[in-house]
Amino acid sequence: MNTWIQCVTVLLPVAYMSTALLHGMAFAGDKQPPIAGWRRASLWTALALHAVLFALHARVAGGFPELDPWLIVSSVSLTVTLLWTAVTVRSRQASAGAIVLGVVGLLQLLASAFGPVTANVLAPLNAARILHVVTSVFAAAALVLSGLYGLLHLMLYRQMRAKRFGPIFRQLPNLEQLSRTTRRAALAGFLFLTAGLNIGIGMAHAQDVSGFDYRDPQVVLTIALWIHFGMIAFSHVIRGLTARRTSIAALAGLITLIATLLMALIPGITFHE
Amino acid sequence: MDSVQDLILVGFSHRTAPVNVREQYAVRGEDLEPCLRAIASADGVDEACVLSTCNRTEVLVIGTGRETATALARQHLFRSMGDEHLYAFEGVHAVIHLFRVAGGLDSLVLGESEILAQVKHALDQARKADAIKRLLHPLLTHAIAVGKRIRTETELGRGTLSVARVGVDVAKQVFGSLEAAHALIIGAGETAQLVARHLASERVGSMDFANRTLQRAELVASEFGGVAYGLGDLKQALLRADLVVACIDGDGGLVGTDLFSARELNRRARPMLVVDLSVPRAVDRRAADLGNLLVYDLDDLEPVVESNLKNRGAAMTQADEILVAEVHKFLALRTYAAFSPVIGELAQRFDTAREQVLDTVAGGSASAREMQIAHELVKKLLDIALSTMKEGARNARSEAVLDREYQRFLDNLESPS
Repeated sequence: MNTWIQCVTVLLPVAYMSTALLHGMAFAGDKQPPIAGWRRASLWTALALHAVLFALHARVAGGFPELDPWLIVSSVSLTVTLLWTAVTVRSRQASAGAIVLGVVGLLQLLASAFGPVTANVLAPLNAARILHVVTSVFAAAALVLSGLYGLLHLMLYRQMRAKRFGPIFRQLPNLEQLSRTTRRAALAGFLFLTAGLNIGIGMAHAQDVSGFDYRDPQVVLTIALWIHFGMIAFSHVIRGLTARRTSIAALAGLITLIATLLMALIPGITFHE
Repeated sequence: MDSVQDLILVGFSHRTAPVNVREQYAVRGEDLEPCLRAIASADGVDEACVLSTCNRTEVLVIGTGRETATALARQHLFRSMGDEHLYAFEGVHAVIHLFRVAGGLDSLVLGESEILAQVKHALDQARKADAIKRLLHPLLTHAIAVGKRIRTETELGRGTLSVARVGVDVAKQVFGSLEAAHALIIGAGETAQLVARHLASERVGSMDFANRTLQRAELVASEFGGVAYGLGDLKQALLRADLVVACIDGDGGLVGTDLFSARELNRRARPMLVVDLSVPRAVDRRAADLGNLLVYDLDDLEPVVESNLKNRGAAMTQADEILVAEVHKFLALRTYAAFSPVIGELAQRFDTAREQVLDTVAGGSASAREMQIAHELVKKLLDIALSTMKEGARNARSEAVLDREYQRFLDNLESPS
């Protein structure tokens, strides 16, 4: 079983990178039907491989696997791809794929390189804990997507300010759509984070989790992120929050989110390590 | 003198002069006729015509040499303009250039249709000023026909047809759907109405018009269902707008930075877009430095146009073929037209010869049948002579030779002398 896990772990970043490359070819102007077909096939292959990887981990662990930081990164990669696929199906605009899937591929490469071969079962295994993990992963993925679309918005806006009408101008979705996706992804992240955060705090109180404190750096940063992305989600009704400022905020939120996740890797900083 | 070889074309266009130069030398509508009359009445000038648009000003002259034509154009239109911005074409090259212009092959937006109306306008102006006669009239009429043919028979006329359309396309890249956008069009002329039509086809949320003459703005606004403003109320009109398209004679500062409130701009969720299609530019170029404001003029939009151009390679080849065939046809017609006095004289001589032969043979008492035979014979011989002349006119310059000439023209286009 471990051999299978190792094979899939190695193949997964390759699958994501290949998909990103095929999207990059489309971005550069190659939209021939065979390329479009390979792009779709490659994306579904990557998603299927990822599902197989988690199924194998669950089978080895004998239940819902405990997610170490690298497995969290891997599950965030999978969720980002799922959310992005939903966005593209709805908007019929897959041109951001090169960048979004490129970042996903990079995250998965790190997860594959540093992650464990096998995972333990989540203990204690209960519905609240599973829900806390799942909502937190979805929140992180939505916030990553919001940050990435914010980055794309800034890229296009800068190009348009500089009066450069190259591939970024021609291929990316329009400014309004990028801004809307940034806000909507932030809203999804905000809602999932509301659920994940409350379930987590509830569990911490109910189960008297050792080391839990509201002053814990990860808790503080997560609450800050919750407020931050809440503002981004409703930025269109807040005077003075221009689309550009919202995008900068989303990008800053993404960097903070990465810092928050990385915190768990350093011993002694957070109870969540 | 009315040979194609005597034709001289002097001018500048978006290819040779950036918008800041073009706006200095743009000819206002009311100044065009006096300029044309002055050029046409100059010593040695047989015919003259001036074509003036946002992107080019060109003078066509017959009867003078290249130096005199250039000097005249400089004196009346391009005073103190740098040599690097001017080009001059003679003879067949001038014809090729004019046909390319009419066909939209030399336009900022490849295949755009506004230029055809502008060539027609130049023809009307020259006709009114009595400045065109035996060569320029058929030349301009033929150019208009070539323009129509290229647009009908190739793909060039499809897709993005005008700078007005390119401006609207850029707006779509900012706002996505224009249904929630408020547009303000500054100007009420032809281009303004074209922009309004494009915006209406994109179902823009609302469309207001601002113009020097309020009545004219009201007239256009009533057609498109918007609010009309005078230029004095521009600041108020700008507050409401997400998208501003300026198509008005601007003098470079009609829409100054003081009309934009930086505070208001920074309160907008999405950026404001200003597309300045005017030459001279209507919007102060410093407006581009304001935050949350995207400002583009005609030169800025050129890369968007170039990307359209890349997709039209096959249509370009087809248009080039049509153009060469039409130049060939025009030159043949001109050569044949040069024969017309000879043809008249020939017909007269044939008739005299017929009378002489009939007198000699029948001594003044030729029967009706003999006279009919003589008449038919002379007619037949004249037909043969005319067909031979026509053939000769067609072969005077073969299409293959013209094709090479056209290629040389295109090669020299980057560095016109």
